[in-house]
Amino acid sequence: MPQELKPVSSPWPTSIRISSTGNSSPAESPYSTSNAARFRPAAQGMIAVSQGGFYYSYPSRVDSVPLRSCHRTVTMKIVKLIATISLSLTTLAQAADEEAVQFFEQKIRPVLVQHCYSCHSVEAQAAKKLQGGLYLDSAAGATTGGDTGPALVPGKSGESLLLKALKYDGVEMPPAGKLPDEVIADFAKWIDLGAPDPRTGTAPVKPKREIHIDEGKQWWSFLPLQEVALPDTQRPIDGFIRQAQLANGLKPNPPAGREKLIRRVYFDLIGLPPSPEQVAAFVADTSPQAFETVVDQLLASTAYGERWARHWLDTARFAESGGYEFDGFRPGAYQYRDWVIQSLNSDLPYDQFVRMQLAGDLLEPDNIHAAAATGFLVAGPFPGQITAKTVERIRYDQLDDMLMTIGGSMLGLTLGCARCHEHKYDPIPHQDYYALASTLARTAHGPRTMDINPAVTEQAQTAYQAEHDRLVAALQTFATAQSPARFLDWKSKELDKQPETSRWQALEPINADAERSYLKVLPGGIIAHNGAINPGTEIRRQGQRHSVSAAEEYRFTAQTFQKNVQSLRFDALTDKSLPQRGPGLNGDGSFQLASIKVTARPLDPLVKDPEVVLKLKPVFAAFEDKDQPLAHAADDNPGTAWVVRETAKKDNAAILELETPLPGFAGGTELSVELKFLDQGIGRLRLSLSAEPNPSTWAGDVTPQHLGELRAIVAAFPSEIPESARVPLTRWFAPFDAEAAKVILAVRDHAATTPRPNLSEVYTTIAGGQDVFYLRRGEIENKQDKAQPGFLQVLWRSTEPAQPPTTPTPVDPRVSLAQWMTDPQQGAGPLLARVIANRVWQHHFGTGIVGTPNDFGFQGDAPSHPELLEYLASELVRGGWKLKPLHRLMLLSETYQQSHEVDPENLQLDPTNKYLWHFQTRRLEAETIRDSLLAVGANLDPAMFGPSVLDDTQRRSIYLRVKRSELLPVMTLFDAPEPTQSIGERSVTTVPTQALSMMNSPFVRQQSEKFFARIKPATDAPLTSAINQGYQVAYNRLPTEVERSHMLSFIEQQRAALGPDTPESTEKALIEFCQVLLCLNEFVYID
Amino acid sequence: MFNFYSPSELALPARRRFLQQAGLGFGSLALASMLHNEAAAAPSPVDPLALREPNFPGKVKSIIWLFMTGGPSQVDTWDYKPELQARDGQDLAGSDAQTGFFSTSGKCLKSPFDWKQHGESGSWVSSIFPHLSQHVDKMCFLHSMHLKQNNHAPASIELMCGTNRPGLPALGAWMTYGLGSQNQNLPSYVVLHDTRPRGDDQIWSAGFLPKTYQALALDSRRNETIDNLVRDGKHSDSQQRAQLDLIKQLNQDHAATRPTQADLAARINSYELAYRMQMAAPEALDLKQESEATHKLYGMDQPECATFSRQCLLARRLVERGVRFVQIFAGKGVGGDGSVNDVPWDCHTDVEINHKSCGLHTDQPAAALLADLEARGLLDSTLVIWGGEFGRTSDSQGAKGRDHNPNGFTIWLAGAGVKGGLHYGATDPFGYKAVEKKVHVNDLHATLLKLMGLEHTQLTHRFNGRDFRLTDVGGEVLTEILT
Repeated sequence: MPQELKPVSSPWPTSIRISSTGNSSPAESPYSTSNAARFRPAAQGMIAVSQGGFYYSYPSRVDSVPLRSCHRTVTMKIVKLIATISLSLTTLAQAADEEAVQFFEQKIRPVLVQHCYSCHSVEAQAAKKLQGGLYLDSAAGATTGGDTGPALVPGKSGESLLLKALKYDGVEMPPAGKLPDEVIADFAKWIDLGAPDPRTGTAPVKPKREIHIDEGKQWWSFLPLQEVALPDTQRPIDGFIRQAQLANGLKPNPPAGREKLIRRVYFDLIGLPPSPEQVAAFVADTSPQAFETVVDQLLASTAYGERWARHWLDTARFAESGGYEFDGFRPGAYQYRDWVIQSLNSDLPYDQFVRMQLAGDLLEPDNIHAAAATGFLVAGPFPGQITAKTVERIRYDQLDDMLMTIGGSMLGLTLGCARCHEHKYDPIPHQDYYALASTLARTAHGPRTMDINPAVTEQAQTAYQAEHDRLVAALQTFATAQSPARFLDWKSKELDKQPETSRWQALEPINADAERSYLKVLPGGIIAHNGAINPGTEIRRQGQRHSVSAAEEYRFTAQTFQKNVQSLRFDALTDKSLPQRGPGLNGDGSFQLASIKVTARPLDPLVKDPEVVLKLKPVFAAFEDKDQPLAHAADDNPGTAWVVRETAKKDNAAILELETPLPGFAGGTELSVELKFLDQGIGRLRLSLSAEPNPSTWAGDVTPQHLGELRAIVAAFPSEIPESARVPLTRWFAPFDAEAAKVILAVRDHAATTPRPNLSEVYTTIAGGQDVFYLRRGEIENKQDKAQPGFLQVLWRSTEPAQPPTTPTPVDPRVSLAQWMTDPQQGAGPLLARVIANRVWQHHFGTGIVGTPNDFGFQGDAPSHPELLEYLASELVRGGWKLKPLHRLMLLSETYQQSHEVDPENLQLDPTNKYLWHFQTRRLEAETIRDSLLAVGANLDPAMFGPSVLDDTQRRSIYLRVKRSELLPVMTLFDAPEPTQSIGERSVTTVPTQALSMMNSPFVRQQSEKFFARIKPATDAPLTSAINQGYQVAYNRLPTEVERSHMLSFIEQQRAALGPDTPESTEKALIEFCQVLLCLNEFVYID
Repeated sequence: MFNFYSPSELALPARRRFLQQAGLGFGSLALASMLHNEAAAAPSPVDPLALREPNFPGKVKSIIWLFMTGGPSQVDTWDYKPELQARDGQDLAGSDAQTGFFSTSGKCLKSPFDWKQHGESGSWVSSIFPHLSQHVDKMCFLHSMHLKQNNHAPASIELMCGTNRPGLPALGAWMTYGLGSQNQNLPSYVVLHDTRPRGDDQIWSAGFLPKTYQALALDSRRNETIDNLVRDGKHSDSQQRAQLDLIKQLNQDHAATRPTQADLAARINSYELAYRMQMAAPEALDLKQESEATHKLYGMDQPECATFSRQCLLARRLVERGVRFVQIFAGKGVGGDGSVNDVPWDCHTDVEINHKSCGLHTDQPAAALLADLEARGLLDSTLVIWGGEFGRTSDSQGAKGRDHNPNGFTIWLAGAGVKGGLHYGATDPFGYKAVEKKVHVNDLHATLLKLMGLEHTQLTHRFNGRDFRLTDVGGEVLTEILT
């Protein structure tokens, strides 16, 4: 029955129904399969033919074209046509008139035969040459269309993909060359006529891949966590392992020797060898808890996070640059790495660990660590050079990168496979991909500068303010009680002896602040730049979150008692501390002053005169550009500015006249000054005033205002100095009175200690992004309806709304995503738990219970011990998602502590060690090899965290720089992976260049020398003691007799080769010995 | 079906790999005998560089790709367009603002060079190639190359890796992955560069393949030194030999008790290989062994082309020794203002100044390489490729420059397996867009793999749940150009 289907304009969040039985109406369920109709443009208003139940209107190919890469947006030789509608054919037939059919026979059919049939016909299909599942040899074939739907929209050539292809618009058909324009025009005409087509014959029915969500939910990894019967053993892990061993006739290995065991667990948990002392202590500890104690110590060690963060960084494709054209470095990207280390060390519950990486920026907007966590989403390779032509494709590639990484690292799913079509293997419909992508729609990437600890800053500011208030109160008290008398006394004796007041008096600001700078006031009234705040920095101002603007603004206040002020003078001064000596703070020393605004108001609160904005008239500037003169700073246009660029590097001064002289308020005047700049401000500036009429020249002395002010006060208040003037009086009197100076300086000095936020840059998600649209075949050119946020249907177990709108404010889709991902009851929680439990197992035992750690879908390996995995995942969730108890569970098992030895009978039965009858020997990773080399040389720098470093330092390898185009050879040589996609399992290769580096690299040589220094024997000690010590440091054991004698003769031989038997030759021979120890397999293989 | 090991066995973990060894009868006995056998130089079965059977006999053993970094202009090199010459300054019909990276004028810019026909094939060549033009009858020109990306790094990645997505393996990596190495003492995939091209390591990356397949990149500015090939300070050969003997002895003892660990044997072997590489690599890179005449032939005595000539000569020495894929990235160019340009053929401001200079830097050495390979009979098994990441616009950028143009450009192949003097495909009359027999990168790769003996649809690697291949879901072998 025809059914009108319209796009669903469901608000987010909305209901999610998993049933496909039609008991929920499409209008309220974005997840019922019928809702696929949203892929259809509403404007068409066409009829859809339901072919027995619900169907997807974007059938997917399941033909022989292999799924190689799902990311190629355009496949040149496959017609990409998509079903927009299905049409009733009879309607067409009726519409066709005879003339039109003739047109078809003359103009259209020959072209189809000549240019199209070879790839788009029943014959082509028989010859296995059919392309894109499209048949153009029958009317039905053309209208039904190929993999991507109908080629024709009769009557609408503009919407017919066949015509687009002929026009080489996105798709290029025929591939051998574009047809002549007149032929294309014929096709357009024919389609507009309704595409009359007398050809009969039916196009073979295409096989359609159908995804059955309900069946999909029965896949083992998509089920809820199962209760498993626990084996009757002290430790369930051993029970599960033994059961499988018994069933396969295998006998378990004995426990590993204690030296082996402690070496194993050290490398495993902290990635460093134990010291000989630590080994000795463990060997000597006979208590039953000895191993447990070691495990707990290691889990509590900060080195644990440094070791295990690396595993996670592989899955998170972490790097510090954008890759592509210029591989732009992301200076704040390291914060994500630090956050991972910190989170592991503090045993942040894994569900929270996941939520923070998906939506930390939204869950805790002011927390830089939360922002660092979301660095996960945007750590991928993104092009740095973007043109209009590529911007949209790049955006969808970014979304794909995020989804693939979320899928691979957290869910063990290959989500990227559903970008262009239904997932080929897993029950993930194309629409689920876009629903998920849509949760990430508002996710852009970039740097943020934030306060590392706003609470600390706030606390400091409160403390500062309290102290400031106290000092101001003291000043007030002094000013009220003592200043007038002390001043009058001084005045009578000293005032007349003071020099004349000069023409220009520099205002001494009583406070100053700025948008993107810190300012301080120097003696003489100079306002000086005292540190920058980067635009975009997020700080709190007046209790509000504030993003610092790129346009600077200085604000300061001064006071005066002068009457009849006529001119202002503005000095911009150079200083060697400024860029290019300034005076501007821009890189070239320039500044662009857009406006100067001075407001005058009464200082005495009892005087109620209105405030006045001074009208300024530019008179003169020492340096100005004729196109951007001083006048631009005094006009009303905020877009123009007095620009000083060419004449920068010199002191500059400008004079502005007041259109109306400022008479001055009774009781004094307060001047508020606002300077607006187009970019950065001025490094050193000073504002002076003058009561002279229109000074003919700006030259002449500038002196601080205090003498002039004292004289003005005397003139203004012949009898008693009023209360409101006493603080200013104290300030100006301070140069002449030690007691006044004390209270004034106390306030001024304290003001210089204003606490600043501890700012740091973090590379993370930032506001931005665009709506996400469904893309047919994943192509930008085939944009359909706007996608609505949603989750994977196969991992949703509720009939309730996904995110009930309990509050009037809707939940951000990304926050909902984070909650769905970690919801063990209704969301993806069970899968999330299985995937991480498997990873932990994999790193402890060498192979996961599921051998494909990034693929728990239909193509992935089946679990070798399903109940064990269920048990571990359930324990993890039960234990509040904490990983450290999970480590303990595994490490304290007998299975972990068994020896590595190979029993011949077991080997026959289970050559791949699937049933873990022995501990699997394995090679260390690149980072661990380098860290071990530093550890045996005893020169590993234990400093944690911070910006990345190069390998010329002795920091742990996790802190080495990861720049995508310049990966460090010391890492890649030993298989550190390319950080472009989530990596669940590293490859281990063995190539001669590794051997060359161990034999010849200056680094290994240098470490051999440091290693030697550690074991250097006393002059009379036998060589064997050095050999013993070397083995203990490098391998945590003593050499065997055979090894000792081999080494001894080697040392002797080297010593002989090095010349006469001197202490030097012995030393050099021992260094060779040390290097041999580092080259041997035992150094890089752990049993 | 293709006799090919499964990559997961190659990668990890060892216990999976063991299955394969067991299948090959590589038990502990065999291990012991191999360890004590000097012929252990024969690669172990898990050696990722072991020689592997091709799908069918390949006509090409080695490829040398002269990568013309920056994107040479097709209409100023090999694709003669009289129509463009005639309509200088007129509107270019169909000029598309989306083509270039910056913006172009829409006005035809004729080639500033003289064009002449050469060889029996009568192939047109511009005057910037006085030497190469003598070899046109060896060259098979693909005039209809096209790709999607229009900036250097993405286009170079697309050209080498099949699609523009970082993290994919490059052609050279796929070749070694498919065929193994012909000379265990030398790397199989070598890149020779001067200034690093945009995109850096990503252009010659092993991507998700094991790192073993990554190119060894040799920098001409560091005289093509290989890291860690020699130890600093005094260390006599006998000393080192004694050290290696001891390492071998003790490693064998260690491996004997860990019979399931095949990579232990590989690692023992790798020290021996490293030892031999210490001799083999300097020998291969030692140009002093070449005669004066050869030096002169390549133009080593001329400052303009000294670097490129050294790289070409090195390439010849490397393929002589079995290296499978050598790629030279042309590293010097001159910009419109006469300054040295780090992206050589990138003639945004002045095609005449830039291309003349690029020709001067590369023409003679490239021609010498063809002549030398032919004289030594190596051209029967070696394929030389000339081309960059895209072409240029037929309309001008500014007054005299040309912008990027990925929609039509020329690459030529010369040597084993391809028809000389053939012109395949064509651009439109202005050289702006490929229109006839268009060749996408995937098609080129399919063809190159075919020449090496590999069926491109069967060379796959599973990564994160998918089987990837170099040619993605495309690729058609250009059978018409094959001999």
